[in-house]
Amino acid sequence: MKKPLSSRFSKGLKQWLSVLPFLAVGMTLFIVFVLYPQVKNIYIAFTNYNIMPGSENKFVGISNFANMFKEVTVKGSDANFFWIAFRNNVLAVLVTVPGQLVLGLIVAVFIHNLKVGRNVYKVLLYIAVICDWVVFCNIIDYIFQPDEGSLVNYCLISLGLLKEPVAWLQNTWTGNLVIWICSIWKGFGWVMIIYTAGLQGIPTDQYEAATMDGANALDKFFHITLPGLKGTTVYLLINLINGAMNIFIQVFLLTQGKPLGTTDVVMDYIYRRAFNYFDFGYAAACGIVMGMIVFIVSMCLKKFLRYGQDD
Amino acid sequence: MTKKLLALSLSAVLAASMLAGCGGGSTQGTESKSTESGKSNESSESAASDASEDSGESASASGITYDGDEVTITYWHTHSDAEEEVLVDTIIPEFEKQYPNIHVDAVRMPYDGLMQQIITSLSSGTGPDLMRMDIIWVPQLAEMGALVAIDDLEGFADLKDDLYEGPLSTNYYNGKYYGLPLNTNCLAGVYSNTMMEQLNLTSLPTTYDEVVALKDKLGEDQYLIACDGANSWAMAPLFHSLGGVYTNEDYTKASGYLNGEASVKALETIVEWYDEGIIGPCFTGGKPDSANGLYDGNYLFSYQGPWFFSNDDEENLAKVTGGLLPAGEAGSLTVNGGEDLVIFDSSSRKEASWVFAMFLMNEFSQSAQAVGGGHLIPTVKSIAESDEVQAVENMDIYIKQLEGAVSRTPSPAWERISDKLSIAFQSAVLHEDTAQSALDKIAPEVDALLAGEE
Repeated sequence: MKKPLSSRFSKGLKQWLSVLPFLAVGMTLFIVFVLYPQVKNIYIAFTNYNIMPGSENKFVGISNFANMFKEVTVKGSDANFFWIAFRNNVLAVLVTVPGQLVLGLIVAVFIHNLKVGRNVYKVLLYIAVICDWVVFCNIIDYIFQPDEGSLVNYCLISLGLLKEPVAWLQNTWTGNLVIWICSIWKGFGWVMIIYTAGLQGIPTDQYEAATMDGANALDKFFHITLPGLKGTTVYLLINLINGAMNIFIQVFLLTQGKPLGTTDVVMDYIYRRAFNYFDFGYAAACGIVMGMIVFIVSMCLKKFLRYGQDD
Repeated sequence: MTKKLLALSLSAVLAASMLAGCGGGSTQGTESKSTESGKSNESSESAASDASEDSGESASASGITYDGDEVTITYWHTHSDAEEEVLVDTIIPEFEKQYPNIHVDAVRMPYDGLMQQIITSLSSGTGPDLMRMDIIWVPQLAEMGALVAIDDLEGFADLKDDLYEGPLSTNYYNGKYYGLPLNTNCLAGVYSNTMMEQLNLTSLPTTYDEVVALKDKLGEDQYLIACDGANSWAMAPLFHSLGGVYTNEDYTKASGYLNGEASVKALETIVEWYDEGIIGPCFTGGKPDSANGLYDGNYLFSYQGPWFFSNDDEENLAKVTGGLLPAGEAGSLTVNGGEDLVIFDSSSRKEASWVFAMFLMNEFSQSAQAVGGGHLIPTVKSIAESDEVQAVENMDIYIKQLEGAVSRTPSPAWERISDKLSIAFQSAVLHEDTAQSALDKIAPEVDALLAGEE
């Protein structure tokens, strides 16, 4: 039999009050740093926003969103640059996500099968992950310098693969390539760590049973290791896709979108519109569109790969 | 269902917040650097102290009195090491002696990402009282309503007549002045002694025709012109000298000027010279960079600001000679740079800030900054033309070169215009587009930006 409403209410209130201290900190941080900026961001996207306190922000309807498509086919237009940047984000997803996953997995399997020195290798490969982005990008910038003496050009010329030094960061596709290499190098250590944790979760008796059935190393890898890591892989996939859609620092520090915005990515594009041109409304609109795209992609992936439902 | 909806909306918020979180930068790839940190050298240090001793007694106040409360004003600047020394050791102590009720907290800011920092500080109400900033930012901030108009402030009307028109005009927006020109600069020529010798040049070339005629004498990895990039700052002296212009004289229209016959021809010539190896690889980001190329004899000359001579050691500087830029069809033109002093509208100490601003413009401060430290070029005519200032190394070259200095279009939309120009220039240089078509494309867009339509 149901208790009367008043007693249920007071019980509920008591429960809330007892958990509130635990929730309060997290909720406050969430509201201040996540929810409020998001709501404000949506407001900004519909106005011609002026950052000066107390100034009037004219409501402009969806014109900021419409600008993303205005003269989109005209080379050199703002909208055109947005979609070039978006293309580069998609390419970054297509290249760096598989790159990090495959490299991370291979290295994780090797390290997992090592008898000694596992932690040493893990630490060594993880250094790139904990290294500051600015330091890391400066190193990348240094080894990809356009002269003959830079590490990459020197090695490739010495090996006879190149005749003349390449200005890596000054051309569209070599510039994008360096950005991808930078992303993969910086990120695969994290993938490796997650995979090594995942590998420890696969019961060893499965491998023993497979050995008794006459399976070789490759069979074991494809039929035990890979299926055993499915949950981990989907988790990594969603995170890496989010990461690749959000790449910013490497572009900002290495190419600044040069030449002609053809190595730009959406985050850098948004940053420039907001902080160089003070076009906060348009930048906020671009941010919302990008956020929605990432959100939809993540949701679709979750649904199609049935993450969390059969593991 | 409600739970799902809630979870869905929260995830949406989270996903989007990741995107929003990517603000706040550290470096900015901007072409206009009016000051750069550098090493001070002994001669400039002693010159600075000489200046302070010489004018110690005559260090005139700017004629403004201050009888308000005791305050501390915050002053942001981007001086280099050598320039900062003069400010902190000479100018501020003298100021505080004369105005004991005003204390100055001088904060040196890095140039990279500075505009973003200004914006952040203004929006959060933590900005400085006054600031020395790049001339190109003044109209943009004035449009935002962040700066104080100084037209009616004490002493400005008298000072105005003694200021160079070019630097002063960089403070003009919508019928009012929003700052004082603290120091000016431009790009002038720096020539490689090694190359001069190899090419048997006894005097500096005076025209681009003379420069181009040396083409056949070049050896391997040698070029004549080192231009630091196809953008609206570094390429401006070359583009303007060859007859190119960005807008009409009133800065209201680009169509017919930016894509006019003369501008198209200028850009075509630049593209041709780059293709022929007259302009070196640093033009598109290649090596050697302009400074090392000058020292090592890869480039004949480069476009450099006065800070070039305070940023490197004497051993390297002995390998180069400063001089006027060669003249093209339109003359020996260059681009105007420099810094303006502005007072922020958010300041609660505007009166004291103005007193300090006027002190920085007086003879004592202007001479001290010119003679010592980074050899900043004064904007007050009578001071710039004084014997003391003219005697500073290379100062005469820069003051002479300034006669042909072209302002970058003073407009709140300059950053956008500048980006559009850079893109058009680069498209032409990289043969993505022809000069005519690249300039035709952006001219109407620049028109719209000048009219404040975008």
